[in-house]
Amino acid sequence: MANSNLPRRIIKETQRLLSEPAPGISASPSEDNMRYFNVMVLGPTQSPYEGGVFKLELFLPEEYPMAAPKVRFLTKIYHPNIDKLGRICLDILKDKWSPALQIRTVLLSIQALLSAPNPDDPLSENIAKHWKANEVEAVETAKEWTRLYASGA
Amino acid sequence: MGNTGSNRGRRRNHPSNHSNTGEQINGVTTQSLQESLPQLENSAGNRYVFAAATPYPPPLPPPPPPPQPPQYPNNISPPQYYHYSGHYPPPQSMPTPLPAPFLNHHSQHNNFHHPPHHLNWGGGVRYPAAPMPSVAPTPYIEHQKAVTIRNDVNLKKETLRVDPDDENPGMFLVGFTFDATVAGSISVMFFAKEGFDCNLTATKENLIQPITVSFKEGLGQKFRQPPGTGINFSAFEEIQLVKVGESEVYPLAVKADASCCSENESSGGGDGQKKVGSRNSQITQAIMEKKESGEYHVRVVKQILWVNGVRYELQEIYGIGNSIDNDCEDGTDQGKECVICLSEPRDTTVLPCRHMCMCSECANVLRLQTNRCPICRQPVERLLEIKVNNHDDKPEEHQNSTPESSINE
Repeated sequence: MANSNLPRRIIKETQRLLSEPAPGISASPSEDNMRYFNVMVLGPTQSPYEGGVFKLELFLPEEYPMAAPKVRFLTKIYHPNIDKLGRICLDILKDKWSPALQIRTVLLSIQALLSAPNPDDPLSENIAKHWKANEVEAVETAKEWTRLYASGA
Repeated sequence: MGNTGSNRGRRRNHPSNHSNTGEQINGVTTQSLQESLPQLENSAGNRYVFAAATPYPPPLPPPPPPPQPPQYPNNISPPQYYHYSGHYPPPQSMPTPLPAPFLNHHSQHNNFHHPPHHLNWGGGVRYPAAPMPSVAPTPYIEHQKAVTIRNDVNLKKETLRVDPDDENPGMFLVGFTFDATVAGSISVMFFAKEGFDCNLTATKENLIQPITVSFKEGLGQKFRQPPGTGINFSAFEEIQLVKVGESEVYPLAVKADASCCSENESSGGGDGQKKVGSRNSQITQAIMEKKESGEYHVRVVKQILWVNGVRYELQEIYGIGNSIDNDCEDGTDQGKECVICLSEPRDTTVLPCRHMCMCSECANVLRLQTNRCPICRQPVERLLEIKVNNHDDKPEEHQNSTPESSINE
């Protein structure tokens, strides 16, 4: 059973996430797998994602915290650093991972990524192209997608 | 309280010490401990400083290195190899570092309790099972244990300043706050050069005289140099004031000498430690910074400690204050716990970046996985374990005849 022998670190992080959630972020572990978290991130204000509720999933691999959690958007989102499968291009999830980071800090970083899309390091080529060619229009599309897919229904 | 490590007093002449000069990082100490250690046995507030000695830049020629087998590249004789940083093989007892020790667990996750799309995770690039060490195999990272020395007098470096001398317009007086557990004297010197064995020389003595003032013991004492003995900045070129001069001449240096030290129990090594009057001194070296207003401010560059003939450079350790404020059992005190397990108290400092962020156990795991500091991602050269509340570290001293010193415990 995956929940046996759960490291204290994961237990503590989970407790703290539940007792003092970060603003605009909620993460709760799945009952049958304490390494699997259902995450909700509110779209940051003054971003095209404002008003949206984005669902993500987060999984702590066996090596965690020596290896990064695996995080993926489940809600469709129009963002140059997030692809259509919800995979996220964020350095701290890859080579810049540090075991001093936590679930909370990872989710805060993802929330910040929504505020600051980086089309120069794209995961989704088309969206990035769009973003660079016509940012106003791309932002409009992102808002539209937020209304369509992330309205919290 | 007593001297338990007095056999180390002459260690700078030890061959292994010299072999270390090339890559020795600066001594590591913390100065923020005093307030944090009221529970230690001496309630008078003796300072504990954690330090790794910096061998003094040698006026003495280094003794010839011991004969060495070719497999030890660092001028180190085999029995001592584990004391020094370098890329020699780990001791036998250490497991061979595995680049990705958990790779084989990976598939389990994918079959276990979670949705099949996890198989797709990894965005183009598959997630490695663990961060790959940037060098393979992971270089052995030295893990040292700290021993404790005591500093009888300490200038609080953040308090060092210059104030106008009201009686002598244009002149400025040096002032600061300091703690002393014994009586002693303070010397203020401008354009000072550090010599051997804690001697300071004023290089512009003809222009500005050093002054020495004695003090009694006491914590939080305020020092201000006597009126008329200060510095007239306009008599010097700005360039001389704002930079460390050639051959390490500092615009301002303050030397605090403990007039006597507690030699009453020099039981440690019994190798005839000399009882010289001042065996415990601190030098604070500073430059001036010119503000936009034209005023000069003091900026401390370096603090040096001489204890029983061994020179240490004082450096702060980031995060140590948190780790020792008190023991937190409930685990709610974030900031005192190891950043990796979030459970054990921090006791291991990463060098050279000086982030105390881990417990020793996690540090041992970390160094098999990566050579980056968890806090700043700088390469880890060494790990320094500091057990603040551990009074029984003598066995560790035996395995570690390193340049560290244990003067008091």
